[in-house]
Amino acid sequence: MKKIYIYILVILIVALLGYKSVYFKKLSAVKNAQKENFDFKAFVDSIYFKGILKSKKNIALTDLISLVQTNSEMAFKEHGNRLGIGNSAFFMIESTGKIFDIKDGVYTIADKKNGIIYIDTKYIFGNAIRDASGLVKLTDFKTNSQFNKVSESLNDIIRNEVIPKAIKTIKIGDSIAFSGAIKLRKNQNLFKDIIVIPSQIKLQ
Amino acid sequence: MKIKHLSLVILTLIFVFGCSSKEKSGKPKIAVVVSTLNNPWFVMLAESAAANAKKLGYEAKIFDSQNNPAVESDNFENLISSGYDAILLNPTDSDGSISNVLKAKTAGIPVFCMDREINADDAATSQILSDNYSGCVAIGIEFVKELKEKGNYVEIIGLVGDNNTWARSGGFHSVVDKFPNLKMVAQQSGNFDRNKAMEVLETIMQANPNIDAVFCGNDAMAMGAFQALQSAGKANKVKIFGFDGASDVIEKIREKKIIATGMQFPKVMAQTAAQYADEYFKGRRTFPQRVPVEVELINASNIKDY
Repeated sequence: MKKIYIYILVILIVALLGYKSVYFKKLSAVKNAQKENFDFKAFVDSIYFKGILKSKKNIALTDLISLVQTNSEMAFKEHGNRLGIGNSAFFMIESTGKIFDIKDGVYTIADKKNGIIYIDTKYIFGNAIRDASGLVKLTDFKTNSQFNKVSESLNDIIRNEVIPKAIKTIKIGDSIAFSGAIKLRKNQNLFKDIIVIPSQIKLQ
Repeated sequence: MKIKHLSLVILTLIFVFGCSSKEKSGKPKIAVVVSTLNNPWFVMLAESAAANAKKLGYEAKIFDSQNNPAVESDNFENLISSGYDAILLNPTDSDGSISNVLKAKTAGIPVFCMDREINADDAATSQILSDNYSGCVAIGIEFVKELKEKGNYVEIIGLVGDNNTWARSGGFHSVVDKFPNLKMVAQQSGNFDRNKAMEVLETIMQANPNIDAVFCGNDAMAMGAFQALQSAGKANKVKIFGFDGASDVIEKIREKKIIATGMQFPKVMAQTAAQYADEYFKGRRTFPQRVPVEVELINASNIKDY
């Protein structure tokens, strides 16, 4: 009779060990977890602070406009970034100017060399800065949604942290230095109403 | 004996050259497999792909998957057994179509996806896709500005299993969700279909009569939404946003009845896919896995250019 209890106990222990040593998860849950494990915030922190802010590849807006007017093909090839196929490209530019209007997050700048420039501090969305930087490759990510998430995280840092801090004390009449992304079309020959999606603004 | 040997040699030669005669028997054949021919946008994509393939000197035939991965699977089996040499695919489902693409890959047939993405980066030879996300970011910004950052809105999304649906919705929400006074009162699927979208919006408006805007994942649904709003006498009050750049929506933007759409370039995608197939036949083996094609925002300010 005692043997029966021992057998039952052994079976229970084996069953318990077996149950605890194996577990099942949905394949979709595992795949999603792998995607979610990627730390976008850390990745874009590095792209922004070590890449975009330290990049020597920014082109002065004056030089870019001059190059587009004289040799558009070279301007797009040397300084433009377009992922895939399209009639436009993003450029990472830098310039200086004096603020003469601020309205709904748009800073209107009188740029001595380039005329009126608009810096949009409110609508920092989309792939403008990621693509203009040229620092992130499409092949680095398995799907477009992951690749787009890089832009969202990058935009979040700039829109929510960097720019609010930078413009806190800036007012009309101040002179500033700025860098950021602009979009130019290949057939563009007018350079008025240029809108800059800022990556950095500094009081001069 | 000699005759017997000679017969064997002839039979062997027939067998050897008979087996390798496929390339010499005519032009390589390209299959254009499209998700549906029940939507003018996809008809244009498929016909353009077939026309480009023919222009490059190949035979081309269009297969309709009727928005059904099972029909797409049958199409793939038929065209693999029929000896097609390349497939220009507009997939039905970002996950469901992977096995079909892999079947073709195993059979040594390159597959070039057009417009719709599959969730695998080692199955298709290349994927030529509209940059839906960026296009809908631009629409999202336009949407926020038009509504002056406040109001109730409805989103009618496309097919739930299609990546484009979520790329568009994701791009749109990446902007709109940052404005807390914009409230989405309903989000429902209209399956990219005009009539379905009309019915969906009619039902939504019964529970939510006070809406300020509708964002639709494609232009067919935007036209369906317009019909629903027109029937309810609200077409002038509710702002409609679409995506595709369909000619009827372009006209409605001109008439100021629809606010904006994102212009896709199906002909560019079709031409690139056919060109890649041609390059594949000529020996190229390395292609970018994903090629985004720019989407342009069309609104009242630039409608004169379209």
